[in-house]
This record gives sequence, C-alpha cells and structure tokens, in this order.
Amino acid sequence: MTTKKQAAEVRLTRVAKRYGAVTAVKPLDLVIEAGSLVTLLGPSGCGKTTLLRMIAGLERVSEGKLYIGGRDVTDLSAGERNVSMVFQSYALFPHMSVLENVAFGLISGGMGKPEAYAKAEDALTTVGLKGYGSRLPSEMSGGQQQRVAVARALVLEPDVLLFDEPLSNLDARLRRSMREEIRELQQRLGVTVVYVTHDQSEALAVSDKIVVMKAAEIAQAGSPRDLYEEPANTFVATFMGEANHVNAEVIKVTGTRADVKLGGAQFNLPARGLTPGSADLVIRPEAVRLHAAGTENTLAAKIATATYMGGVAEYNLETPAGRLFVIAPEAHAVRAVGEEVGLSFVERGTILVRP
Amino acid sequence: MTRKDPVLLWWSLLSLGLVVLPWHWLQNGHSIPALFAPFVTDADSTSALMQALFHGRFWFWPVLIAWAALALALRPGLSREAKGRLLFGFGLFGLAMLILQGWTIGPRGWFSPRLEGMFGELSERQFGIGAGGALSFFALLFLTTEGLALKGRFGGDRFIAGSVGFLVACIILFTVWPVVTILGQAFKPPSDQTLWVAFVDRFFHPKVWGLACVYSGSQCGVAWNTLALALSTATCATILGLCFALIVTRTSFPFKKGMRLLTVLPIITPPFVIGLGLILIFGRSGLVNQAAENLFGWQLGRWIYGFDGVLLAQVFSFTPTAFLVLIGVVQGIAPSMEEAAEMLRADRTRTFRAVTLPLMMPGIANAFLVVFVESLADFGNPIVLGGSFGVLSTEIFFAVVGAQADFGRAATLALILLAFALAAFFIQRKVIGTRSYVSVTGKGDPGLARPLPDWVKRTAYGIAIPWAILTVTVYTLALAGGFVKVWGRDWTPTLSHFGRAFAIEWGPHGLIWSGGAWSSLFTTIQLAGIAAPLTASVGLLAAWLLSRQKFAGKTALEFALMLTFCVPGTVIGVAYILTYNIPPLEVTGTGLILILCFVFRNMPVGVRSGMAAMSQLDKSLDEAAVTLRASTFRTLRLVVLPLMKPAIVTALVYSFVRAMTTVSAVIFLVSAQHEMATVFIINRVINGDYGLAIAYSTVLIVLMMAAIGLITLLVGERKLGRRKADSPAANPAGVSA
Amino acid sequence: MTKILKAALLASATAFAATNGAQAQGQINLLCSVQVEWCQAIATNFQKDTGITVNMTQKGSGEAFAQIRAEKDNPKVDVWFGGTGDPHLAAAEEGLSEAYKSPLNDQLQPWALRQYEASKGRSVGIYSGAIGFGFNTELLKKKNLEAPKCWADIVKPAFKGEIQVANPNSSGTAYVIIATLVQLMGEQQAFDYMKQLHPNISAYARSGTGPIKAVARGETAVSLSFVHDAVTENNAGFPVSYATPCEGTGYEIGSMSIMKGTRNVANARKFYDWALGPEAQKLGYTRGGQLQTPSNKATPLPPGAPDLSKIKLVEYNFVKYGAAAERRRLLAKWDAEIGSLPR
Repeated sequence: MTTKKQAAEVRLTRVAKRYGAVTAVKPLDLVIEAGSLVTLLGPSGCGKTTLLRMIAGLERVSEGKLYIGGRDVTDLSAGERNVSMVFQSYALFPHMSVLENVAFGLISGGMGKPEAYAKAEDALTTVGLKGYGSRLPSEMSGGQQQRVAVARALVLEPDVLLFDEPLSNLDARLRRSMREEIRELQQRLGVTVVYVTHDQSEALAVSDKIVVMKAAEIAQAGSPRDLYEEPANTFVATFMGEANHVNAEVIKVTGTRADVKLGGAQFNLPARGLTPGSADLVIRPEAVRLHAAGTENTLAAKIATATYMGGVAEYNLETPAGRLFVIAPEAHAVRAVGEEVGLSFVERGTILVRP
Repeated sequence: MTRKDPVLLWWSLLSLGLVVLPWHWLQNGHSIPALFAPFVTDADSTSALMQALFHGRFWFWPVLIAWAALALALRPGLSREAKGRLLFGFGLFGLAMLILQGWTIGPRGWFSPRLEGMFGELSERQFGIGAGGALSFFALLFLTTEGLALKGRFGGDRFIAGSVGFLVACIILFTVWPVVTILGQAFKPPSDQTLWVAFVDRFFHPKVWGLACVYSGSQCGVAWNTLALALSTATCATILGLCFALIVTRTSFPFKKGMRLLTVLPIITPPFVIGLGLILIFGRSGLVNQAAENLFGWQLGRWIYGFDGVLLAQVFSFTPTAFLVLIGVVQGIAPSMEEAAEMLRADRTRTFRAVTLPLMMPGIANAFLVVFVESLADFGNPIVLGGSFGVLSTEIFFAVVGAQADFGRAATLALILLAFALAAFFIQRKVIGTRSYVSVTGKGDPGLARPLPDWVKRTAYGIAIPWAILTVTVYTLALAGGFVKVWGRDWTPTLSHFGRAFAIEWGPHGLIWSGGAWSSLFTTIQLAGIAAPLTASVGLLAAWLLSRQKFAGKTALEFALMLTFCVPGTVIGVAYILTYNIPPLEVTGTGLILILCFVFRNMPVGVRSGMAAMSQLDKSLDEAAVTLRASTFRTLRLVVLPLMKPAIVTALVYSFVRAMTTVSAVIFLVSAQHEMATVFIINRVINGDYGLAIAYSTVLIVLMMAAIGLITLLVGERKLGRRKADSPAANPAGVSA
Repeated sequence: MTKILKAALLASATAFAATNGAQAQGQINLLCSVQVEWCQAIATNFQKDTGITVNMTQKGSGEAFAQIRAEKDNPKVDVWFGGTGDPHLAAAEEGLSEAYKSPLNDQLQPWALRQYEASKGRSVGIYSGAIGFGFNTELLKKKNLEAPKCWADIVKPAFKGEIQVANPNSSGTAYVIIATLVQLMGEQQAFDYMKQLHPNISAYARSGTGPIKAVARGETAVSLSFVHDAVTENNAGFPVSYATPCEGTGYEIGSMSIMKGTRNVANARKFYDWALGPEAQKLGYTRGGQLQTPSNKATPLPPGAPDLSKIKLVEYNFVKYGAAAERRRLLAKWDAEIGSLPR
C-alpha cells in the first residue's frame, strides 16, 4: 500500500441526470482536483448520491461529459473507470471471507490468487485488521466491517475513491475516529476522494473542498473555511454549522463595508455586495457577546434557557429580532434564566447574506 | 482492461457457420466428417457458401454480404461509435436476411403461392436449418448486440446486451411463435361458417360461460369451473405450503426431514399416481367408503369424482410448489427485523402478525400466483378424477383428440385459459410488484430467528400433520400396487412387475437390457438431464435481467416468459408440432423438440424463484462487485449466484423433475426413437396394466430423489454466516430440497 | 459471457445429433393405435418378414389423429394402423390419407370393405369390435342386480346411478353409441331413450375407456363400452364380464390408412398388404391378448372373443354418421337435450 500512484482529477462538464420527467441532477460543472478530498454535502434528496453514482459509473449520465484523469469516461462502465467505492451498507459479500472480499477486485482485474491475497493482507494491515482475513463479515463489528469495505476499495489503488455516507451506520465515537483515519489514509496515499455525507461536521473535518448541494444543483463549492465564513446564501449558512438567522437592516454602504442595524445594536460588516435596505444576517452562536443590560450599542435580550456544557454555556435568548442561540465561553459564571442582557456581535461569525 | 475482442470470436463463429458447417439439418445424422461440409458435394448437406457458389441457391447471398461487411468491424483503430454502428447495422441486416430466406423458401420452393406467382417457380428448395444455420443465427445475433452495446445501449454492457438479445430471440422462436400459431387456429372458421360467427359461437358458448349450476342441478361452464378450482387450490396449497415452511424453518419439530421429504414427494410423482391412490382410499370401493359402510352403514358415494376430488388431488400436487416458493422467503427474512420488533415490545404474536407475515406477503402472493396458474394448466388430475367435471385444460385436450377434433375450439378455449393466467399475472404485478423487502444486505445479519407464537405453531401443526399422514397413506397404498399381483384385488406380494419392466439378461454379447421400460427410461433421464441445467441457467439469467437491469421492452419480455407456463401442455404440444414440423425449424421427431419444450415450458418457475430470491438481495452487492472491476458475468457468477443457491436448487430440481413427470405436452411430441417414461406409463394405465405402471413410477420416484439429493449436494449451501442458535430451531441455512 | 452462451450453443448443436439413418431395405414410420404389445409384435414381425425397418409410435386414436392433422403440411407418418374407424374416415374426408386397393381386399369380411368404400378407398378395416355392456359381477351380486342383457334393462330404476358412459363430445366410443341408438330406434326415440337413461348415469366420463375402468375398480356397476375392453379388464384380474344388447348393437371398424405425401409409399403399401394377411392379424390375440374380430376371413377368431356373426348388429351407416356435419349436428342436439339435464 505504500506505492503512490499519480492521483487523478475528476472533471464534470454540464453533467445532468434525468429519470423521465424528474431531474435528479441539473446540468452542472465541477472540478475535483487530483489528490484532494471533496465532500458532497446536502440534505437527503438533493442529488448528491446520484452525482456520486454517476462518477462511479453506476448511473448513466443523461447529458454532459465526465473525465477522470483527463480521460473521457462518460460511456464507460463502472468496471472500466478505475474508481472504487465504499457503500453506505458496505456491501460486503456475506458468503465470502474478509480476505476474499478484499481480494475480489484484484482477482477481477486479472491478478493471480496468491498475489491478490498477499496484497489483500497488506490492505487489511493498513486499516488495522491484520489477522481477521478468515472471518465472515457477519462475524465482525460495524467499525471493522467499515474498515474491510475501505480496504477492499483501497487495495485496487484506484484513480478515485468514492465514499457513500460511509460512517452513517457507526456510533458517534467510532465515527469521529474513522473519519480521522479516512482523512489520514487519504493524505498518506494521496488519492483523490469524493465523499458523500449529510453531516456537516463530518464534511468540515475531512474535506479539502466541500460542495453543498440543494435541490439537484450546487448551492456553493469551496473550502470548509470559505463555506463557513463566507456562505453564499442562508441555505449554505444554516447548513454549514449552527447559525441564527435574523432580519437586519443595511443603513449605509461605504466601499466594501456596510453599516448594519439590528435592534439597538449597530455595527460595521463586510458588505458582500449588498445595498442599503432589508438584509439577512447569519449569526454564529459563538459570535455573540453578552453584556450587562442597557450597555450602549447592544441588542436587548432576555435569557430563556441556560445550559451548563462543561467548557461552555449555551443560552437561548429572547430578543426583539427573534430567538437567538448563543454559546458563551465564560462557563464559570452561568447566567440565570430571566436575566436581562445586552448583545454585541463579533465580526467573524456575523455575516450578511443575500435574502 | 486488455481483453480479447469478442467481435473477432463471434465473427469467426459466423464464418464457421457459413463456410464450414452444413447449413441444413442432415437427414442422416451429424457425423463428424459430415460437419466439414465444404467437401460435401450434395447441395442439401453442404455449407451456405458452397450452396450459393455452386448450387445456385441465390438466397444465401444477402447473408454472405452481411458476413463480408461485418469483417470491416474487425479493422483496428476503429472508433467505438463507428464499430458499433457497423456491427449493429450489418448484424441486423444479416439476421433479417437469414430469417427472410428461411421463411420464404421451403422444401417445395416458395412457401406462399403469391411469391411463386411473383417470381415464378423455384427450381431449388431447402429443408430446415441445421448446425450451420443455427450457429450463424446466434453469431449474427451476438454481433448485433455487441454493436448495440458499443453504441452505448444497455449501459454499454455487452454481456447484458447479448443476454437480452439471446433471451428475446429464444422467447420469440420457442414461445411466442408456437403460441401465435395455435391461437391463429381460433380464427380459422369451419367451412360452413364465417369467421366472426364461428369465433363468437365458440367464445361465448354456454358450455364455457354457462351459469346453470347457480339455479339448477346442471353443470356450470368450464371457465367458471376452472376459476373456482384454481382459486380453491391456490388458497389451500398456499396455506399448507406456509405451514410446512414454518414448521421446517422455525420449529424444533422432530420429523422435519421427513416432512420435507413428504412435501417434495408429490412433485416427483408421475401425475396419475396421486389420482389412483385417492381413488383407492376415497373411491366408492375405497378403504374409507368400505369402512364407513361396514361400520356405520353410510354410503359415501362418489364425491371423489368431480370438483372435490380434483381439488384434493391438486392440493396434493401443488402444495410442494407453494412450499418450495415459500421456504426461500421464510429463510430470507432478516432475523434482525423480528428482533427489532421484539425489542419494540411486540410480543411473539404481534411480531408474527406485524412483521414476519407482512414481510412474507410478497412471497405468499407469489406462491399463490404460481399455484393458481399451475392449477389452471393442470391436466393429469382433472383427467383422472374429473368424472363429468370439466376444466379448460381437459376440454382443450378433448377438443383436439376427442370426437370433434376441432382445433378452432381448442384454440378458443386456450385463449380463455391464457387470459385467466395473464390476469393473475397482472394482478400480481400491480398488487405486490412494487414492494420489495430487502433482507439479505451487504452488512450480514447477526440476528436469530424468533420462535413462532404458540398459536401459529399449533395451527401449523394442526394443519400440516394430518395432511402429512394422509400423504403417507395415499403413497403407501398407491405404491403398494407395484408390489402386489393385481392392484386393489389380489394383494399377493410379487416383484414380477419390476421384472417385466427392468429385467437385465446376460447374453452372449454382454448385457441385454431386456425389460420393456429401459429404452424410455434412458431417453427420459438423458433428455431431462440436458434440459434441467439449460432451463435453470436461462431462467435465472432471465430473472436477473428482469429484476436488475433496465431496458426497453422488459415488461413485454416478462409477459412472453410467462406465456408457455400459462398455456396448458396439450396446447403447447400441438402448437410445437404445428410450428416445428415444417422448415425453417424442422425438429419434430427429434430429441431437440422435447428439450426445447421442457426448457421453455419450465423456465418460468426458474424465473419466478430467481426473481423472488433477487428481490431479497441488496442491490449494492452487485454494484460493489461492478465497481471492484468485476465484469458483469463475473459479478453474476461470484456474487449473485452463490447468494441465490436456494433459488438455483429450486430451478434445477423443478426443471429436472418436471421434465421427467410431464405428460400432457410431450404426449404429442414423443416419437419412436424418443419415447418418454410418462407416456410409456400412461399407455400402461390405459391398458389396465397398473402393476407395471406403478412399478415404473416407483423407480422414477427413487431416481428423482437421488437426483434431487445430488443437485443439492452439487450446488451446496448458501453461506450467510448467520449465527446458529443452540436449538435447531433457528437454522436458516438449510437448503430446500 | 461467451462461456455460458457457447455452452448453450454446443448443447443444442451436439446433443441431438443422433438421428437414425435409413437402412438398406428402407423404412416406414408406423403410427399404431392398438394395444402396445400388439403394436410391438406388428413392428418386429414385419421387420423380420421383410427387412424393412419399422419406426413405431403407439398412440390412442384421438391423439394419433391430432398428430396427423398437425403434420399435414409435412407428413412424417407413413401408415396409421388401428384405432376406431371414424377418425380414419375424417382423415380421408380431409384428404390426409391416400387411396390404395390391396390385392388382399377380396379376402376381407364385408364390414371391412364397407370402411374401404366409405372412405373412397383411403382406409380399410383390420378388426372390429361391438358396443355392449361391461359390468362388475361382484358389485352386481352385492346390489342384488341382474346382469343387463338388453337396452331396455338399463333404464330400469334399479340401475339408478349405477351406469357410466363417456361424453360424446370427448369420446369417439360414446359417439358410436349415440349413432347406434339413432340407427336402432330412430332419432327422436333414441333421444327419448337417452333422457330416460339419464337418471341412471352416474357420470359422463371424459374418455371412452373411462367407464369400463370404473367398472373394473368397482366404482360403478355397469358401463357402455366396447366389449373387448371388458375382456381386457377381465384379463387384468378384475371381476368384469360383458353382454351385447339383445335388440342389436353398433360396432367400430378398427382401420388402417396410408398417409398422403409420405416419403416411403412403396414400403407403406408392402406393410398394408402384410397387415391384411391372416398371419399378421393373428398377432392381435397371440401377442396382444386382444379379442377383436379380425377382418381377414382366413384369420381364426380368438377363443373367447365375442363373435360378431353371433351378435345382433345394426346396419351401421358409416358414410352418414362418419361425416363431420352430421356428427356436429348430433352432438349439438345431445348437448341441448341430454348434456344440459340437471343431475
């Protein structure tokens, strides 16, 4: 597993998928750079799995062209594309041993059995399952099955490795360690990975680039930081991490900055192309600061609930602009329910978006 | 992916078929030297190329042109698109020309007088196609499908394209064509009637649709009889089959092996044995009647002849069918579903009602449908026990062989029967076709099947055990006939019947198979042995295509597949003679026609059991294999087939057994060289020689059991790695026999 | 993929290569509609006498006729031996068989030649059997019934539910019975008689031999059948005996035809002549144990066989009652007046 291949770029031009009258994916362009890990993120039904399956070759492309490593693979079947996939259900063949499962693809490709089994052993070692080769999949835990599925895909040294919600069947702790392992493996092997998930924290944790999809099209694509800090619209903003969504007013725009008024508070933010008038404001929970009630230039609020969370405290606040969810770092002094406070907003984490 | 170009292979085979092999069927058999046809001078025994070159048979030129044009596709460096267009275009052209010449020119020149009028009388003629013609046909077909695949159809997968092409061609040739031929007879009026008068008269005849039984003592029309019988049989057989399936898979009943055997026994029994056994017990002079008369003075009469008797015999015959369909379903239910239900505080009854039973519903409906259609087409039981009670299948038989000898009436009745079967088929599709319960997933299932609720267990036992006892009694009595002098009268034990059938003598030149039954037995085993694997592989291939692939005309294909299954054997038999007695496909009197009949008649069972099994296989398993670079064929062989072992066993066993026990279809197709065991037996029964008939049946039953054991052993069990409980109650890995 | 398809192709191409070749003396394809031992004896003896290979298939007359009609565009059968005369006449009427005048015709019984004339030379009688009553002697004794002797006996109420006869729609035997009654009594009286008989009939069986088998197994006391079938059951060990009606009865003429357009016409004629000779006709009894009356005057009557010359026979008009239109008319009438009666 140490031999690195030249990683391949995946390029989609005007690719679309239709089932009769239903459009599952609207025509879209996307470039997945060689050696990067790109996540397709979105709510269920947004077309992300269909897009992944088109890259895999499991679904035919209705229109457009698909290139992997510069080669046109639009009309090639899944087996001819040199891609591998880890399925949500893992799809381990229940009648074959773990080793047979992992060696299956190698033997399919024409490799001799002794060599294939040796490589499969190596792959199992890579994912930390040395010595489990003779077991049946049903005799292994969920996390172990997951690793087998990854090993089975990796052993083929594919141009592109595809993951279809690979962690959704695992418990939270395992999910965290598995996603780190996947990321670490991807970095080590330098393989191109396309990863489908509906869990934004998973996406933030593993991705070089995230493609957020909504209703059969791309809502926004970019680095995790871009998406979190510069969401193109409220959908992306609210989908990428916790966010409060309120209505504010842009009073004046000067250059790239805008003066924004929210209740009694007034502050200056990057304008992001907005003009004076009503605007949508996305406020991350950690971008809110709590002050004593009546402090100047603050939004008046009243604490509805307060939760001690160890390192931080979480509040729900009633304000004239609506209910706000806030995470405050000063957990040693949790405020009481019913207390009146004033709110100010930190620039990082308070974002103007187009309605 | 450097594989050999399949186009080269098929083109070479096409060359073989056109240049080397004799085009036509050889009257004197296909000896090895005769296969090198270019060196044969006789026009009828040489290859197509030679016939065109030296014997003035111009009609081969278009096919030969297609052959030459297809060679262009072998040029290296051709684009995928261009190659595909070339193959598809000329392959299709070649096929069309091959079919056209076969259909227009026969043993007396032009087939139709009109063509003769147009082109004048032909000096040349031709007989039915043989090795060369058949090989060329398939080679052209596969070249065409390669072209389609290269053009991007069928997902660009040439295995799928080829399989669909192969299936469609076979179904058209061996199912649609004969059925259309015989149904066409329904529209040939007798000389003194016009077409529509005759058709309406036949179709709406009171003997078909009459409702006299509702308001008087007379008989209702055969259509109603048939429907009532089929519904009753399907209901009873499905319930019984379910009971047996539950007992065998979910209880610790001590005689499960025996029970399994019992449910299989009727399938491997030549059809009339059950009828005779029932008569011996419930007939007027039967044991039950005599006991009732002697003990209580009751006269039980002849209820066995008619609806009740036929129903009883059919339930005997078809419960195993339902059982075989259902056992796969019961085994396939993921135990974790039931465990989940129990964890959700459902008691056993609720688990069974709310989870197990609904999960089995598609399977139950499937079993019901299969039995319903089998009952519609059943011929053996109504003919033995029907008395004055007629159903469509027997009416058709008598319309053909009876005093009227009226093909038109037979065809009309066949049309009605077909309509019933198809209606059932469509109802099944509408009601349950959309639901599938994926249970064997790629994750494996570590659960244990839950024990059945007590009331279910009691009900199953209460229904199945008496039935099992009855079955044992019927068989003991029926088969006793082979070991006694005169069945039903002189119970002196003897083995003389076996001696007459299966004597072996040691002559001066070695072993002499001097018993009367040997020849038909050898033929039967040989033909059934060839037909069974063909049936199973074609059937499962069809099942896989239908359930996993999307292509245009899929529904039509599925419909055509069910067609022969719906048409009763007698009709198929006559249809096959009418269709294959004349060129281009002249195969009557050969073993081939029997094998074709077996394969295409029994395939639907393979298709249905395959589809049922497939619906429980998680689709991502196939997809995983495909992304792991397995070719479609390899996916099928290494992933799908091993997980479908129960379905394979079912298909193999069924086709083998049906080939050995079927009577109605083959009675018209047997010839002097190819006599089947069942026809031999039926002739013995007709001559009143029950002893020999039953002795022979006994031998057949033993043989088939051995064959079933062998098949189960060869195919092996499906490894799912489910945990096995300590009690034998939860052993889901058993394979249905 | 190629593997599976190739295997299928190979199987279909090679498995059935075995078709038999014609031998030096030629061959005939014989379709035989008498009892199987008889058929076998015919085939082997003809082969022994002439060296011509016989490919024999045994089938009931209805199935045999169905096959012949189905094969009409490309006949495979050369000679059709045996089976009741009606389908042979129908085959002649449809032009499926070929006329042939055997030199042995003048040795034949007059009824055999009547079939020859009725079919315009396309068929000839080889044996004959009469319609009669078959009955189970044990069952009659148990029920305290006299064995029936005349048509008049079986309409007596004592026989209520004890008689079986086949359904003429499906059975040629039953049609012969109707035609016999019509010719014996006149059409209207015959149908009145059948109406009277109806309450005594327990079932209109589907096949012609069904009723006599029911008699043999004790399912019914009396059947209307060919009397030689009763003898067959008796030989199989069942307590079955027979009687022929005192008023007179009808009969069948077991026949033989040469098919039109076959490939072995000369051999077929050789067989035809051979089968009409006394030596060949003896085989029916000596090898098959059958008790029909042979058509060659020189053939000795099988011992114990019903002697047609001693049975009172109706003047059976084969031309009239063998015609398809008359048959259809009588069957329709039977359906309307008898078949639809409540039971």
